[in-house]
Amino acid sequence: MTLITKKLIKSLGIFLILFPFLFLLGLSFSTNWRFPSILPLEITPDNWLGLFSFSGNLFESFILSIVISVSVGLLSTFTGFLAGKYISETIIREKIIFLSYLPYTLSPVLYAASIYYYFVYFNLTGNIIGVIVGQILITFPFSINLFTGYWNSSIKNLENLVLTLGGTKLQSYLKVLIPISKRMLLIVFFQTFIISWFEYGLTTIIGVGKIQTLTIRVYQFINEANYYYAALSSCLLIIPPAFLLWFNKKYVFRKII
Amino acid sequence: MKNKSQSFWLSLFFAVSVLPVVAGFVYALLYSFGLAGVYEIGFTLKNWAAILSSPEIINSFLFSFYIAVVSISIALFVALWFVINYGAHFDKGILSYVIYFPLSIPAIVAAFFIIQLLSKSGLISRIFFNLNLIDNINSFPDLVNDNLGIGIILAHTLLAIPFFIIFLLGLYHSQNLENLKQLSFTLGADKKQTTKRVLLPILLNKVYPTIILYFIFVLSSYEIPLLLGQQYPQMVSVFAVRKLQRFDLADIPQAYVIISVYVLIVIVSLFILFRKRKLEYDFDN
Amino acid sequence: MLLECKNISKAFKSENVLNNLSFYLEEHKTLSILGKSGCGKTTLLKIISGIIQTDNGDIYLRGNRINDIPVNKRNIVYLYQEPLLFPHLNVFENIAFSLRLKKIDDQLVRTKTDEMIEHLELTEQKVKMPHQLSGGQKQRAAFGRALIINPVLLLLDEPFGNLDSSTRESMQNFYSKIANEYKITSIFVTHDLKEAIIMGDKIGLMEKGKLTIFNYVDDFINHPDTGVSKEIDFWKKLRN
Repeated sequence: MTLITKKLIKSLGIFLILFPFLFLLGLSFSTNWRFPSILPLEITPDNWLGLFSFSGNLFESFILSIVISVSVGLLSTFTGFLAGKYISETIIREKIIFLSYLPYTLSPVLYAASIYYYFVYFNLTGNIIGVIVGQILITFPFSINLFTGYWNSSIKNLENLVLTLGGTKLQSYLKVLIPISKRMLLIVFFQTFIISWFEYGLTTIIGVGKIQTLTIRVYQFINEANYYYAALSSCLLIIPPAFLLWFNKKYVFRKII
Repeated sequence: MKNKSQSFWLSLFFAVSVLPVVAGFVYALLYSFGLAGVYEIGFTLKNWAAILSSPEIINSFLFSFYIAVVSISIALFVALWFVINYGAHFDKGILSYVIYFPLSIPAIVAAFFIIQLLSKSGLISRIFFNLNLIDNINSFPDLVNDNLGIGIILAHTLLAIPFFIIFLLGLYHSQNLENLKQLSFTLGADKKQTTKRVLLPILLNKVYPTIILYFIFVLSSYEIPLLLGQQYPQMVSVFAVRKLQRFDLADIPQAYVIISVYVLIVIVSLFILFRKRKLEYDFDN
Repeated sequence: MLLECKNISKAFKSENVLNNLSFYLEEHKTLSILGKSGCGKTTLLKIISGIIQTDNGDIYLRGNRINDIPVNKRNIVYLYQEPLLFPHLNVFENIAFSLRLKKIDDQLVRTKTDEMIEHLELTEQKVKMPHQLSGGQKQRAAFGRALIINPVLLLLDEPFGNLDSSTRESMQNFYSKIANEYKITSIFVTHDLKEAIIMGDKIGLMEKGKLTIFNYVDDFINHPDTGVSKEIDFWKKLRN
């Protein structure tokens, strides 16, 4: 293979990967792109400008999604961090790891359908708290799964060392355990954030159409055949995770299933 | 003190991760036997009989299996080919960054993109029209909402290829495959033998649990078949939810039959996966 | 008497790791304990430091019973086989760590830590991160981190186990020197016969959860279970 063909193949690869992003971005900047034209007839920032004025409260959905996903990510990361520590010490550790796979391998929409009754009972349908709780049922076991494998004897030895050096339990967390686990905490946060950010099935069922996150808006716009707004909200969905990936490709990726 | 915290966190784990699954499964079972819900008529097997005697559920599961097998096979094949041939040159340069980008695409956006690309009024159809390969919009074939699930498979494949490439690249480096490859060459193996006897066995052995989990993930997928599927057969999640949302109340217990069967299948597959081997954790790939 | 252990027992899942074990240790002395891996020496150290609790028996420090005093209030430092430096802190901050915990005035922390670093001959490594250090340097930094708070008792769990033999020897000399200067009382656990003799003022032999103490090195050498006579015979035979 010559150098030129190699370069060509590489450029083609990059183009193929970036194409969906460019395409959706282009679609979000057009208002008139009908069959059979290959390129949009006009490029206009109208859709994007509308985001901040009316636009069916798309910006509100964006903020709502951020609030839900950041809460879900933070809650499941920190509780998972602490829980993983104690669970990794139990003799039923392997069984816990097995059980922790269940909730997030189940189809979220079917899982939600099966527990919908209890959510109604606890008055958790159609409100933000309910959606956050519902999503945590998926992300918390995921976080436990990662952290139970993370806590090992050398980290615990460091904790004991702080204690024998005269530090308190709290100091051992603040001065040593959290700083040395920063990378892992970031990984788990990004991952749980993304699970929540991408979530559609469970949110439709538990939110009963009242909690309009971005994924739900995309679906609505597609159903209304409003492809320009569907593209616009798709872009809003892609930007935050793409942003995180760009800065921390190593951190974000870890089995996003 | 330590034991107290331990039981606290264990209880929390069971309350959040195990209890809801069990409670949901029990509720689905009760509903399906006519013992709970709006259609509560006392114990009956008729919902199970109705569902199991109709070809719909079998076809729905078969269709889901078919989609999962085909999408994952294609994605895995492409990713393996790519990593085995180019794995060594992939830890630097712009491509090593760009390959992570597709992970920022949610399933619903992937489905939307496929519609825009493959539908009768989609981009490819337009290109064909402008090249005079078709003379009107309707002569473009059905690639979305089609019988073979081409749109669904394509959307899943597009999401799975980068995922597996990144996963395998991590293994390629963590398992030191580049050195093993050279070692194999010095021992007299050619490229094909090296791939077949060294690289593939190591990679497949390590990626196998992830394949199973991804298989369940595709099998259970909802948004993609919801947007790209057709009326019949439907993938499991879509099929069950449609039944839940029908006006006929008699359909709801049948939806719960499907959910019960589905949950059982997932539990059994996970159980088999875990009985055979412990999953490994490497966090820094 | 600095440390007195009376009838210490510990079992994990019905397996007796420590079996009714008693001994004492005077101030400024080093007790070295010789034992194979799995004989319970690490468990003993962890019980004395308070990381784990004993099932039975009492521990006295300067005459006070300390069984119920939490690990961070005992002022007993336990050092692991690996130096276990905090990976996110440089040498200086690792050594200053426990002073920082006590919120001591920054200027004082600096003077004390710098002094310690000089003693440890680590001045050039002061701002290096743990992964940039050699095995011996790491171990010295770990000593410094422990010594800086003047612990009542230092527990060393095979501290030189991971070092190569020449570094090991220089660390043994270094430790003896430092122990003298700082008047340290310590328990030094090792599986190396020679090291046990070099380091200890008195020597203990630990087997299957039982501890035998030899107050004089001669007793230790002459006891059949310690393996010293066998060793001597070996070298003698070689010579002949």
